[in-house]
Amino acid sequence: MSAPLLAMHDIRKRFGGVQALNGVNLEVRSGEVHALVGENGAGKSTLMHILAGVHQPDEGSISWDGKQHVVIANEHAAQRLGIAIVFQERSLFSSLSVAENIFAGRQPVSRWGAIDRRALRANSAALLRRVGLACDPGTPLSELSSAQQQMVEIAKALSLDAKLIIFDEPTAALTETETTALFSVIAQLKAADVAIIYISHRLEEIFKIGDCVTVLKDGTWQGTFAVAQITTDDLINRMVGRALSFARADGGARYGPVVLEVRNLTDLSLEGEVRTRLRGISFQARKGEVLALAGLCGAGRTELALAIFGARPRESGEILIDGQVVDIDSPADAIAAGIAYLPEDRKDAGLFLDMTIAQNVAAARLKDFGSWWFSDARGEAAAEEFRKQLRVTSHGVKQAVQTLSGGNQQKVVLAKWLLIQPTVLIVDEPTRGIDVGAKAEVHALLRQLARKGTAVIVISSELPEVLALADRILVMREGRITGEFKGEDATEEAIMRYASLHVPA
Amino acid sequence: MPEVAPAPATLPVDTAPRKLRLPAFSREIGLAALTLLIILLFSILYPYTFKSAANFNAILRNLAFEGILAIGMMLMLVGGVFDLSVGAMASMIGVITGWLMKNAGWPVPLAIVTGLLVAAAGGFLNGFIVAKVRVNALITTLGTMGVFQGVALLIGGPGITFLPESFTRFGQAEVGGIQAPVLVMLALAIIAQYCLAHTRFFRQYYYIGSNPKAAHLSGISVERLQMLSFTIMGTIAGLAGIVYASRIATATSTVGVGAELQAITAVILGGASLTGGKGTIWGALIGVFFMALMKNVLIISRVSSEWQGIILGAVLVLAVAVDSIMNRKKA
Repeated sequence: MSAPLLAMHDIRKRFGGVQALNGVNLEVRSGEVHALVGENGAGKSTLMHILAGVHQPDEGSISWDGKQHVVIANEHAAQRLGIAIVFQERSLFSSLSVAENIFAGRQPVSRWGAIDRRALRANSAALLRRVGLACDPGTPLSELSSAQQQMVEIAKALSLDAKLIIFDEPTAALTETETTALFSVIAQLKAADVAIIYISHRLEEIFKIGDCVTVLKDGTWQGTFAVAQITTDDLINRMVGRALSFARADGGARYGPVVLEVRNLTDLSLEGEVRTRLRGISFQARKGEVLALAGLCGAGRTELALAIFGARPRESGEILIDGQVVDIDSPADAIAAGIAYLPEDRKDAGLFLDMTIAQNVAAARLKDFGSWWFSDARGEAAAEEFRKQLRVTSHGVKQAVQTLSGGNQQKVVLAKWLLIQPTVLIVDEPTRGIDVGAKAEVHALLRQLARKGTAVIVISSELPEVLALADRILVMREGRITGEFKGEDATEEAIMRYASLHVPA
Repeated sequence: MPEVAPAPATLPVDTAPRKLRLPAFSREIGLAALTLLIILLFSILYPYTFKSAANFNAILRNLAFEGILAIGMMLMLVGGVFDLSVGAMASMIGVITGWLMKNAGWPVPLAIVTGLLVAAAGGFLNGFIVAKVRVNALITTLGTMGVFQGVALLIGGPGITFLPESFTRFGQAEVGGIQAPVLVMLALAIIAQYCLAHTRFFRQYYYIGSNPKAAHLSGISVERLQMLSFTIMGTIAGLAGIVYASRIATATSTVGVGAELQAITAVILGGASLTGGKGTIWGALIGVFFMALMKNVLIISRVSSEWQGIILGAVLVLAVAVDSIMNRKKA
């Protein structure tokens, strides 16, 4: 076996209080497709950012092309070495032409320093032929499909003479035919002795095109295996399987009647999206039940929540509350029907940062505090109740929420929704970015709400959280519900299997 | 389980809120203090020219037009948008109303009501384009500013003079020594202050201005409210144009040129933020008064008009810069 092109050894990286990478190894050879797998947050992105020069490792060594202890100081340095990334979110300029994109900032110039348009076209055309994209180099990028744009990114990587190309979830937005086309380009690159790192949640793809696979879990290295010598089960076991970090809730919960029913819900794709996210979703939630939606990033869980909440257009499907079909076209309609939604990104979509705790708590139910003489005092009294009940650490309810810690901010958003006494409460990543203590508090709170009769729907990418909280678990994959478990029967392995594999129906 | 966070024991719970409440009013209070200081200083420096009832009356009379616009502009900025077409709107509505009563011979009340309806329609058009078609507010109102100004010139030429006495007597009336336009401004301010501070409906603008996405997800209908605020702004601008035409007995086609920037400047000085969610009507009035006072004292101290622009511009940037630095320290 030849010497590796890239060898990363014992890489460690810490962000604040989080150890993102803890002793990771990765060796990649020229002409090899090396797959990188792991759950959300396992450290794949951090590792790739180190390769791209975005972050510097705290410890560990990198050798490249025979040279020991290489420092990749910034993106430029990575480019010079011949490392290119085809990003998940495209890093292209949609208003410029394909050729300008491929050679962004590196356009060939004539003797007088002006851009040599003829050379630009010719060079671009040659690269486009290599990736099998039949389009004129002068075409504006915005006219290409997302698969074609990805080919432009690959062409850009080739123009840099990349020796190593990193693909980060390249098929997430592609159709099946487009995926096949991408795989044939990858096969060609491989034949041309380019090394490839392939990151994907779709395990069957790894078995199709991968040579080796490295598994990460919680920032630690779980080993590198030849794809031919490992089974799917093995791979899944290594990606998950950890000691339960949260104790499971008391069993023996008794549920009431079905309060929320979703029938055959399909959404409309928004501007800039290649396809709809949800395809014929049906499920029920019962009074007093904690229902978890598990799945990987991009499985459509948030889209489902938004569609139920009236914040995402639906093409078809019905939503029933207490057995009655309700017409939900806006969040206001959903709130009136008794549905609350705690968004994934609280700063972006949940909080009024420069406003006070009291004002934030009142936001979804202003009518309770007087129409013609709005009473701040009444709002403050109501907020004070929640502040005590939820143990929000602050000087009082007139403090601006931007001065609170993440956990306390999340409690303020929760208080806003508790004020409307929802029938159904959907919480999207309720404990993201908050510390362990606050996490446990939020968990206890959600369970308590369910005991009091709310149907609580938890969207979480943290499997231990799902297992600890849920009475029932629905697993989503690519806009469909692919599996259902009773909380006590579920295991991380089983959920992972339904979340990442094509399961024959 | 109690959360691990900075110990609250260091700040006694009952004193903290008072301390934290202050920043919300700091720009208004700071500006009011500065205004008083200037009045005091110039009363001593120029006891005869500055400190006279006639001079103060002149200051008030001159600020009424921009003051009325600033009240509407404060509502816009609380909701996180602004409207550049207000000056042109004021010109256009003044001219349309004047033309209707002078050239078309309509009764004065009917001409006024028609003028206000056209203003509301123009404002609604702005709101519709911004909220529904989703064109940026700056671009939209920059465009309609040109349109309204053009219509004003088409209908009125340079202006319509010698408006009927039954119309001008309102604008030139005085109650208790205060001119009618000033009274209109104060009445409007009281209504607007009540609405923004005390009605649930207008409270929603603070939420929209603070975070439109979160407001939408909290069940507030952002689009509808935005269309409404543009409609209100248009109507208020029309009112300003009519009141001004009534006072000077002439509907001038260019009366509002530059007034939109004056109004925005005053409102920002008075505590609004371009990113929205902040400000009170009292702040808008203090801002307008401060600007008028500055102009007045600069004229009295014989500062040339070139320097007036430079000084007022510098004051605006300085006020916002001080605010920004203070806020950064707090965070």
